[in-house]
Amino acid sequence: MKGFTYHEPNSIGDAVNLLNDNGARASLIAGGTDLVIKMKQGKSEPEHVISLQSIPGINEIKYSGEELRIGSMVTHRAIEQSKIIRDKFSLLADAVDNLGSVQVRNLATIGGNICNGAPSADTVGPLMALDAVLLFEGPEGERSIPITEFFHGPGKTAQAANEILKEIVIHDLPPGSCSRYIKYTRRKAMDLPLLGIALVLVSDGAEDVCKEARIGLTLAAPTPIRATKTEEYVAGKPLRSSAMWDEAGNIAVNESSPRTSFRTTSAYRKKIIQALLPRAAFEAIRRLSEQQRKG
Amino acid sequence: MAKVLEPKTGKPEFHTVGRRIPKLDALEKVQGKAAYIHDLKVPRMLYGKILWSEHAHARIRKIDTSRAEKLPGVKAVITGYNTPEIKTGFFKDNPVLKKDKVRQFRDEVAAVAAESEAIAEEAVRLIDVEYEPLPAVFDPVEAMAEGAPLIHEDKDSNILKLPWKLVCGDMDQGRSQADFIVEESYSMPWVTHCCMGSSGCMAEFHANGNLTVHSPTQIRYLAQRDFGDAMKALGLKGKRVQVVNTAIGGAFGSKLDTYPFEFITILLAYYTGRPVKLVFSREEEFFATPSRQKVDARISQGCKKDGHLTFREVEMVLDNGAYTSWGATTPSVMMMPISSLYKVPNIYYEAKCVYTNNIYATAMRGYGNPQATFAIESQIDTLAEQVGIDPLQFRMINVNTPGEITPQGFQIGSCGLKECLESVRESLDWDNKKGKQDGRGVGLGSLIHVGGGARIYKSDGCGTIIKLDDFAKVTVMSGATDMGQGSDTVIAQIVAEELGVEVDDVIVVMGNTDMETWDVGAHASRTTFVAGNSALFAARKAKEQILDLAAPLLQAAKEDLSIKEGNVFSRSNPEVSMQLARVLRALHFKTGGTQIVASHFYDPPTQMLDREMKGNFSVAYTYGVHGAEVEVDKETGHVEILKYVIAMDVGRAINTMLVEGQLEGGAAMGIGYSLMEELKADQGKILNPNFLDYKILTFPDMPDITSIIIETEDQFGPFGAKGIGEPPLVGSAPAIANAIYDATGKRVRSLPIIPEKLVAQEDE
Amino acid sequence: MIQVKISFQLNGDAVTAEVPDHTTLLEMLREEFELLGVKEGCGHGECGSCTVLVDQKSVNSCLMLAAYVNGRTVQTIEGLAGAQGRLDPLQEAFVKHGAVQCGFCTPGMIMSAKALLAENPNPSRDEIRWGMAGNLCRCTGYVKIVDAVESVCKGGCSCGEGS
Repeated sequence: MKGFTYHEPNSIGDAVNLLNDNGARASLIAGGTDLVIKMKQGKSEPEHVISLQSIPGINEIKYSGEELRIGSMVTHRAIEQSKIIRDKFSLLADAVDNLGSVQVRNLATIGGNICNGAPSADTVGPLMALDAVLLFEGPEGERSIPITEFFHGPGKTAQAANEILKEIVIHDLPPGSCSRYIKYTRRKAMDLPLLGIALVLVSDGAEDVCKEARIGLTLAAPTPIRATKTEEYVAGKPLRSSAMWDEAGNIAVNESSPRTSFRTTSAYRKKIIQALLPRAAFEAIRRLSEQQRKG
Repeated sequence: MAKVLEPKTGKPEFHTVGRRIPKLDALEKVQGKAAYIHDLKVPRMLYGKILWSEHAHARIRKIDTSRAEKLPGVKAVITGYNTPEIKTGFFKDNPVLKKDKVRQFRDEVAAVAAESEAIAEEAVRLIDVEYEPLPAVFDPVEAMAEGAPLIHEDKDSNILKLPWKLVCGDMDQGRSQADFIVEESYSMPWVTHCCMGSSGCMAEFHANGNLTVHSPTQIRYLAQRDFGDAMKALGLKGKRVQVVNTAIGGAFGSKLDTYPFEFITILLAYYTGRPVKLVFSREEEFFATPSRQKVDARISQGCKKDGHLTFREVEMVLDNGAYTSWGATTPSVMMMPISSLYKVPNIYYEAKCVYTNNIYATAMRGYGNPQATFAIESQIDTLAEQVGIDPLQFRMINVNTPGEITPQGFQIGSCGLKECLESVRESLDWDNKKGKQDGRGVGLGSLIHVGGGARIYKSDGCGTIIKLDDFAKVTVMSGATDMGQGSDTVIAQIVAEELGVEVDDVIVVMGNTDMETWDVGAHASRTTFVAGNSALFAARKAKEQILDLAAPLLQAAKEDLSIKEGNVFSRSNPEVSMQLARVLRALHFKTGGTQIVASHFYDPPTQMLDREMKGNFSVAYTYGVHGAEVEVDKETGHVEILKYVIAMDVGRAINTMLVEGQLEGGAAMGIGYSLMEELKADQGKILNPNFLDYKILTFPDMPDITSIIIETEDQFGPFGAKGIGEPPLVGSAPAIANAIYDATGKRVRSLPIIPEKLVAQEDE
Repeated sequence: MIQVKISFQLNGDAVTAEVPDHTTLLEMLREEFELLGVKEGCGHGECGSCTVLVDQKSVNSCLMLAAYVNGRTVQTIEGLAGAQGRLDPLQEAFVKHGAVQCGFCTPGMIMSAKALLAENPNPSRDEIRWGMAGNLCRCTGYVKIVDAVESVCKGGCSCGEGS
């Protein structure tokens, strides 16, 4: 690893200034689980490394009853152990349950997972389905970007070089909502998804019709996507119809454009979308039934 | 915990043999106190680093080391142009530093020694090499074709001149007698050892010109001989080479040969006059350690209507990669299951090893047997289905039996294959579960392996020296090597059993060529058998000495004396007894006194394979059966292992817990080989040199294992034991492939059986 | 070279080190403190051999900059055994259940198990598997490691014969 100067600012403003002063020569470090590897491999050789760990206020999970605010420095482990997230935003808990190892989850942060722009990032599919909004701090002040507009390509995002992600804001889900994230991997643990399916469904309650569906797919295209055509198809259809979900799977396959890599083929990723979209839906619906039973 | 099926003769009374005694060095290891090569540091030690080739095949036009040499802290920069030529590999085709041309991505082009690892890394980056790329070939079939680029220009073909051919019986007759014949192709990928501790060594020259190499090698004595080549090249012929083992962080065959990096370290130590250590990063471990080779096989087998096999014919092409190491000799082991798994009267086998511009092939646990057995045992199921006989029953019809002499000339002594098959049938609930093709299925794979050494060198021996001190503490100096499998403990148990002392009273000293006697190495599942017998016979000699000398002291006849629980006593009158320690002191502290020292060199009574590749090259053969129950997801192709059982005829379990450890660890490696492990390359460059993309099983991937230990009490083994290091992964792939077939009706003939192969077939 | 001064609690002792800014925790522990039980298996957080506890949480010391532990507590395998070398029950269980073969992964395994049991004193076999999924072993097939961790029951005693 090349040498660098380590900074540990105590405020977001100081961090922004350091970043602004050093431009491309600086890198932010959150949990470090990606950056340290990139620096070891010589893929990243910053002269300044700015740690966010001593900045107050960005490592908390706050829930107001209307919105959930997750600080960018919140670790995956903290999300995994958050009762409110498991109860109300269960697909986000799904995303971290099998992300790396306990050791990695103790270090790695949600902010890092998002800002790296990796197509395989586990929290991103769920955050897309949750319509999360990313709150950045820059020299000009705050700026918010919907996560659905954040990813421009593998490793490319809308984040400016002198901006720091502070918070992820998620609006509460309407009553009758349920969710699920399925990470499909070759190996059970310590693996990247070959495909990620995140799904939020809203039931109208009485008629058991799907009022709204939000479907985030990772590795189904060069960047994480929302399967909007599938969402349109599902809206207004009977929630528990397997035929409907099978057709939804076909539509999702058609609106995806997964790539072939040494990890797997485009064709196989499509198979997985087709097979797992209905399963994700029914697992979400099962959660809804359980909630309803509990009352 | 394992179920142990004992021989019907009843179990002799042992006081340490068979017990679950913890591995002797486990106490050190759980405290982080074992010193691996990574932990070794001596005063003035330098760090070595290799510059690897950036091309799979290219001429070296120029190497400019001047910038690296000027870097402060750099003590030596060496290339093939400023060092004497040393060649490795059993064909001596691998110059340790490449001159003129490189033949694979991982070729050693230059090396540095520096004051720190960071400086060494920086220095390597400062070496400028000009290459002229050459046409390369990565497919062994293409490499055999007329006009293919020659990997070694001094040879007229890429096909290695190796006589891998075995013919037994009459193939025409075998074919004509067959009522059913199945002919298929199988392919097995490149896979690698993945030792948790990466490779490395430390070399140090002494003032008198002698050399010490600290290394986690499995073959101290062959390494000692090989390093002599470096001494010769450096003008130090006649000087002494000492090889000292560090703790070994896993081996599995990867450390069964000497490699260029070790010679480079020796050269760096010589030119700097300082100790030099070179340790691989994980990435280097993946791309620079030779691996288990890719094999393509065509196989056909035939049988009569009653299920009796009439012939087996196998032709293979092995991707050897750019240089020879032991990989090119694995057909010598592949012949074993091909000729001798089940009773098959007529055998034809031929294998071609082909140079390519890929990484090169070495030994890995099983040594060719996993590839051959995958093809044989998968096809046995297909054949059984054609004949209409249950696959387990089909195997019973052809089962090997004690006393049999196989077509290749193996003299089968103990053989528990039948008992293994029966145990797996019961454990898997075979009769109820087999044949439903409802997404769940059961399958099995039998195996044969050498269990009593393997005479592939002129000596298959191992030496032991035993001494007893004044307190009846026993020191065993053994040529054997412990790489985690527990040979230290097994040897201690054997000696303690024979001498009538406790295991705690025995220490086993291994790992230093200056201190013990020769051993050919930790390979061929031979250590418990060969080193165990060596230790047993040495202990027996020590005991004879003790009893001879104790007889007058106890005023008893020698024949009447025995040792038990640290006491020498009269069997006819147990009241006549003396502490062993007192006996030893009485013999020592007197005029003309003596101490007990005994030694034995054991070389098993076996034959080298002859020109026709026939002969009894092991004293004993180990048999076993892997069984799996799987569930296959019809939509995704995901395979879940519901149950995994291994029944193994181990002769006798010297230490049941360590046997289970071998079975469980082998199963993990075998399941990985079956379902997910594969070194992937693009134009010879490894694409997945890391644990994320080269997938070994993690905890949740690994099912609990049902171990069934069959004790057939081999007449030549120490207390009846046979070797079992490799067999635990040999039958995995066919067991899983057969279970997948039973679950889905889909036959996959290439490894690993990734889900893509199961759903792709569904589309067809 | 730029040096950072790091003060922290290491295996119960207050210590200080001055290391280059880009030093990882693994490098500092091995090189400055000669805690060689902290093993580097991959350097990328993919094998768990380098697992140590920072503020009682398991982390990959190869992925962490040394500067991160300033003001924190770090425990390594060397800090696990008590006075007079009395082993931790987990260490005893690993010995007794045959959970150690080559031993390279063992220190990291034990530290991972330590963190797991601190959070969940009575894990099921599956909970052990998922809790320790970040630690790779190539020798044992994990079965005996699960046995060993399972045998260490609530209250920290090592009892029973395992499975």
